Amino acid sequence: MTILSSNNASPTADSGELYQKHKKVYVREVHGLFATLRNTAMVVLLGLYYGMAWVNWDGHQAILFDLPARKFYIFGLVFWPQDFIYLSALLIVAAMALFMFTSLAGRLWCGYACPQTVWTEIYMWMERLVEGDGRKQRKLDQGPHDAHYWRVKLTKHALWIAFSLWTGFTFVGYFTPIRELAHNLITWNLGPWETFWIFFYSFATYGNAGFLREQVCIYMCPYARFQSAMFDRDTLIISYDAKRGEPRSRKPKKQAEAGEKVGDCVDCGLCVQVCPTGIDIRNGLQYQCIGCAACIDACDQVMEKIGKPKGLIRYTTENALEGKPTHILRPRVFVYLGIITLVLGLLFYAIASRNPLQIDVLRDRSNLYTENQMGYIENVYRLKVINMDEKPHDFEITVSGMEGVSLVGKSPLVVHVDSGKVEDVPARVQIDPESIKERSNQIYFDVVARDKPDLKVHEPARFLGPVSR
Amino acid sequence: MATLPTTREPQESIPLLQRIVSILWPSFLTAALGTIVFFALFDPRDLAELRNIKAFSRLAGYTLGFFGFWLLTSISSALTCYFRRPCYKQPVPHYPEDDDLEQ
Repeated sequence: MTILSSNNASPTADSGELYQKHKKVYVREVHGLFATLRNTAMVVLLGLYYGMAWVNWDGHQAILFDLPARKFYIFGLVFWPQDFIYLSALLIVAAMALFMFTSLAGRLWCGYACPQTVWTEIYMWMERLVEGDGRKQRKLDQGPHDAHYWRVKLTKHALWIAFSLWTGFTFVGYFTPIRELAHNLITWNLGPWETFWIFFYSFATYGNAGFLREQVCIYMCPYARFQSAMFDRDTLIISYDAKRGEPRSRKPKKQAEAGEKVGDCVDCGLCVQVCPTGIDIRNGLQYQCIGCAACIDACDQVMEKIGKPKGLIRYTTENALEGKPTHILRPRVFVYLGIITLVLGLLFYAIASRNPLQIDVLRDRSNLYTENQMGYIENVYRLKVINMDEKPHDFEITVSGMEGVSLVGKSPLVVHVDSGKVEDVPARVQIDPESIKERSNQIYFDVVARDKPDLKVHEPARFLGPVSR
Repeated sequence: MATLPTTREPQESIPLLQRIVSILWPSFLTAALGTIVFFALFDPRDLAELRNIKAFSRLAGYTLGFFGFWLLTSISSALTCYFRRPCYKQPVPHYPEDDDLEQ
């Protein structure tokens, strides 16, 4: 009866609370093979993020999604909004790679490469730098809020905010040229939108890496919810060998002398203390586990100390734990690999064979057609000649497709377009009304580079006119 | 025992943070996707020109577009959450005569 009432009292007691009582996870620092791997990944990835923005290539920023100019530079390649399809292909490859690695070894992405993990790690590192290890942090939070407390907290938040601002600045630097941005920042000339996005992204970083942390993985991440679908009995997961560890005992020697069966787990609790999501891996695979392997490092250290073999917690498969054979290379891995290879192949082929010359034909909206002084029917177009080649070119524009169709004025029309630029060219097309058979006729604009004859397009357009009797 | 409150519906036991996040976060993701697709097809400056708005930077267009999308998708997510709430059970009127009829 008492148990029942206490069980029922707790939900009613907290149902009135506005916010979920979130207990901060005080993470103990861990050293070992996987910690080294994780730190290496962190340094490399953060280095790439903060560094790549400053790398130049061929006179422009190497990686720049120039939103104000609607052009995307990736090293020597220039992409346009029209090239959106390549991005979709890239996203398919990324998703398939994620699925493949998940089916191979669980949440590798979450543990080592996800921005949420990487930034949380660096923010935790800064926290440790100022406040000390997990135990000291808890002591500080539970102790008196005196001058020392506020000094330490202020230092930490100042450090966090500075790092967030740098992160936000770099983020915007991938979308508007970062050197210009830096110059504008120093001369206090930032535009309102740039300023807004720097602060928006900084705030998101500060909140996600400083406060939300593992809650992002637990509540917000869609991948965390469906990743188990890629798991099977041959997937490498971080697991506790219960057969070897149980029954756990804090006094194994005494209990063994008394003739009781004792497992290898000494119940030191280190695996729980180092877990960034605050779970106990000994309870089995849980969806909160991001696969960071911190518990493996912690447990291995303890096993070494007490003279037992390492690997009580280790990367292993369900099959292996049950003593069955494990097949790492299995059909689903090859299916993922096949799709990745296919899409990547198509992507490379498409990029290599894409035409760096494009033309958009826009009809003049105000008039369907006019009759000019020569008695010819005239249509007016606006041509957008887009030169995506690395060199500037002079392009010759002609028309074809109908008998006697010609450009008004100088023909061929010549236009100079710089590399990566768009030129607006007004073009008037005329034709003898006698040769107009339909209201709407197919004509073609032919554009060819003078110095590079294979750089050409044959673009269809509509020519409207009255049908002569 | 009979007076003890029954266990709560599973929907109610979701923490508030998770409920807020479940509205704002999926809508953020879909808004980002919508923004990318939309502005890959349309240049904000062209759209502004059609409305005769001068001196309109593209970044302003992207920003307003993104938050517009986010607002829309948030409303959609919020409505989904709202309509998914369990309805109260309608009390069924009890007529003593019914009992007689069954016998």
